[in-house]
Amino acid sequence: MINRRHFLKAMPPALALSGYPVHGFTKDAIDGRIIVIMLQGGMDGLLAVPPIGDDDLFKQRKALVAANPLKLNPLFGIHPNFKNFSRLLKINEASIVHASSFPYTGRSHFEGQNISQIGLRKPFSVDTGWLGRAMDVAKITGKAMSLDAPLLIRGAMEFDNFYPASISNTSKPKNDLLNLIKNSHDEDMMKTFEKLNQSLMQGSDELRARDPLSLAAKAGEAMRHNDGPRVAVLTIPEFDDHSSIGSTTGHHPDLFTLLDSVFGQLKESLKETWKDSIVLTTTEFGRTVQENGSEGTDHGYGSVGLLAGGLIKKSSVVANWPGLSNKALFEKRDLYATIDYRSVCAACIEAAFGLDHGLIIDKVFQDKNIKRTYHHIFG
Amino acid sequence: MYENKFQWARKIGFGFRPKDIIPENIDQWNKEQLNSDNQDIGLNGEGVWPESYNFSLEERLNRLHTFMTKKEKYESDKIAPDEKNKLVRIARDENRVHLYDVYKYWNNAIYGRNTFHQRLVHFWANHFTVGGSNNFRNYIIGDLIYNTIGENLDGPFTDLLQKVTLHPGMLDYLDNVFSSGENSNFTKTMREEGKTAGLNDNLSRELLELHTVSTAKEYSEKDIKNVAKILAGWGLIVSNYTREFNQEKSNGNIKKNIRFEDFIKKPYLKDRSEPGKKNVLGKSFSSGPGSIYKLIKMLAEDDHTAQHLSRKLAIHFIGENVSKQEINEIYQTWKASNGDLAEVHRITLEVSQKTNVKKFLWPTTWMFQCVRLSGAKFISDKNRNNGFGEIQNNGLPKYEPLGILDEIGHNFWSSRQPDGYSEKKQDWVSTEHFDRRIRIASRIYGANPSMSGEEIAEIYGFSDRTKMSISTAKTSKDKFIVALCSPELMEV
Repeated sequence: MINRRHFLKAMPPALALSGYPVHGFTKDAIDGRIIVIMLQGGMDGLLAVPPIGDDDLFKQRKALVAANPLKLNPLFGIHPNFKNFSRLLKINEASIVHASSFPYTGRSHFEGQNISQIGLRKPFSVDTGWLGRAMDVAKITGKAMSLDAPLLIRGAMEFDNFYPASISNTSKPKNDLLNLIKNSHDEDMMKTFEKLNQSLMQGSDELRARDPLSLAAKAGEAMRHNDGPRVAVLTIPEFDDHSSIGSTTGHHPDLFTLLDSVFGQLKESLKETWKDSIVLTTTEFGRTVQENGSEGTDHGYGSVGLLAGGLIKKSSVVANWPGLSNKALFEKRDLYATIDYRSVCAACIEAAFGLDHGLIIDKVFQDKNIKRTYHHIFG
Repeated sequence: MYENKFQWARKIGFGFRPKDIIPENIDQWNKEQLNSDNQDIGLNGEGVWPESYNFSLEERLNRLHTFMTKKEKYESDKIAPDEKNKLVRIARDENRVHLYDVYKYWNNAIYGRNTFHQRLVHFWANHFTVGGSNNFRNYIIGDLIYNTIGENLDGPFTDLLQKVTLHPGMLDYLDNVFSSGENSNFTKTMREEGKTAGLNDNLSRELLELHTVSTAKEYSEKDIKNVAKILAGWGLIVSNYTREFNQEKSNGNIKKNIRFEDFIKKPYLKDRSEPGKKNVLGKSFSSGPGSIYKLIKMLAEDDHTAQHLSRKLAIHFIGENVSKQEINEIYQTWKASNGDLAEVHRITLEVSQKTNVKKFLWPTTWMFQCVRLSGAKFISDKNRNNGFGEIQNNGLPKYEPLGILDEIGHNFWSSRQPDGYSEKKQDWVSTEHFDRRIRIASRIYGANPSMSGEEIAEIYGFSDRTKMSISTAKTSKDKFIVALCSPELMEV
């Protein structure tokens, strides 16, 4: 049978997206894993991955540039706190996409977070997440490492969450009790009970640590099993700082260190499965190019995405750099997003689930204009 | 329509306790609920909250200042690190405030008679979210909840909005304390010294988007910027409040005759404010502290605010599937009364009574109701019984009341986003959330309830299906847990 993806590749791109019926899988199912790290609050992409080769950076920003970024290429450096991530870049297991954003310019956290999770242009227009829909199309399961089930993976046929309780004088409920409670509830709660039952079978009430690092360890552990979840979602909150966010050291840089150690932890705990995995960050928007009055930056537009995992074959910094001169900025204040971040998400879905790009943009993002960036990011 | 009085008392309040005299006439009870005030706690001699643990804003800031001063002293002293940590810990514990606030939050919900009032306080505390954090905002969140929101729920919305917006907690949480006008003396001086200063539009944005008109109003970035200009100069950093006040006073930026207790009510620093006229949504505002009051009045009285808040109240009390007509009834009353909250809350109660729509309760609402209706002693002075016992332990406030709120993911003292907690069922029914409900139910069983699972099922009119589950359960504990975790008690 002809491999559909190769077939499409051979066609001129204009034709690739039209006129062909879209089938499900394009090749033997890829047993890949996706881990999304949601950076809540809007990560300052220019602080994380500064374009040190762009002189306008230093004209626009007085304080908020790390003193000693690690140089990646003539244009870009990376904040020195990304030690693990830099190492992954060196061994061709990481890529960066800069000047990118979900298609949202409104600068509201809540609309922005909603769009980064639903993956559509209109905020609050659906109740499912882009990853949930992708999981649904690929018929796979996932896990959210949080108390609630994030919108990002809603819509999937099956997902579960993990965030161990710590209430003194209590223990995990027994299965027979759970069944009695279940019997009194309506259909819409059945999934919750099934999952709760399963998690009880797995026993173990011992792990209480719930910081992003411990949850990353637990995610990797669960995902490396053959029948474990294929998707995990982690959240690192508190990027929403507007004052004294720090340059070389400080609050944002501390969050970089945390994010960096989560990358390191995932590689370690996924073990062999790392080679089939892709970890990507999302954030609702970037920050203003210039500092505000309080050594911070305010809600902006373009930011940066960090990706790592064994599915990447060759590291790269992907950007269609818009520049930082006053003229080049979005509404005279923000880094322009020249890459729709949904095309990055689509590439990750393609890499990990083996879904056809056309299918992804149709069923998951419902936007035929999303470009294929797979080859840029994964090499 | 709520025929069952027990369920109705849960729809808008925290329900009856087994010892309560159940009102013959529910309309009379409704009236009492509408007229009850902020202090209606412990009237039967039970759960009386000690006056010594009610703190004014001034006391809170003083305690914080005492702690910070001691902390800095110990940290600069030449003593062994272990000893240092111990001294800092003692200073912190001695000056704690928020753990008492949290205990009071439980106490009032479990023993109070003014339960509709308290539910309203929770609603508005969520609408005007001020997240806690380790940078000391926790010292004053209780003041926002009890003294600002709790005391301003029966007047014009304008008053509530004004007091909340200018509360030191809100000004700090949404970064207004870091904002100064681009053309203010403060910004100029800072820039001459090579330091950064200028506008920060965080509070401005949320004031429009979340607190009043919402994005439906379609205001511009320019409007946001101009609101920020009007807000510039308001507030001081909470963690350093007293010291900054003294500093600004000695610099002459606060007049000599203004005392600390006056300043905290109107924390305005002229040298940080933006001179000149500002235009917001087509209306012009002059310079000076008067503009913020005019702006707040304009926003509070805007039609979009009425729409936004009528909808939010309806969803909170009636349920997420509330009909357009039901929202409209609240909206019409809002408009007719020009945002008189006493009227708006009254109509919210009345529409809730007639509805068939159910509301999936927040975890704390459900938990407090379960403690109350079962007669359990989750907070008890006399009999510990797996409750919290005395407010203090060895002279220090208990931590567990806060710990449990954190565990169930619904904690007004936690660090969180300004849009507050979700009102949607699907956000509260994950497996981890459900696991916690079952654990909490077992804790309540351990706190000596006077009602059994079967009795609860009878009084609250459970379905045959739920009654069947309860009768099948083998132990009285399991029967109790099944009753508390039933759809009838989670959704009302």
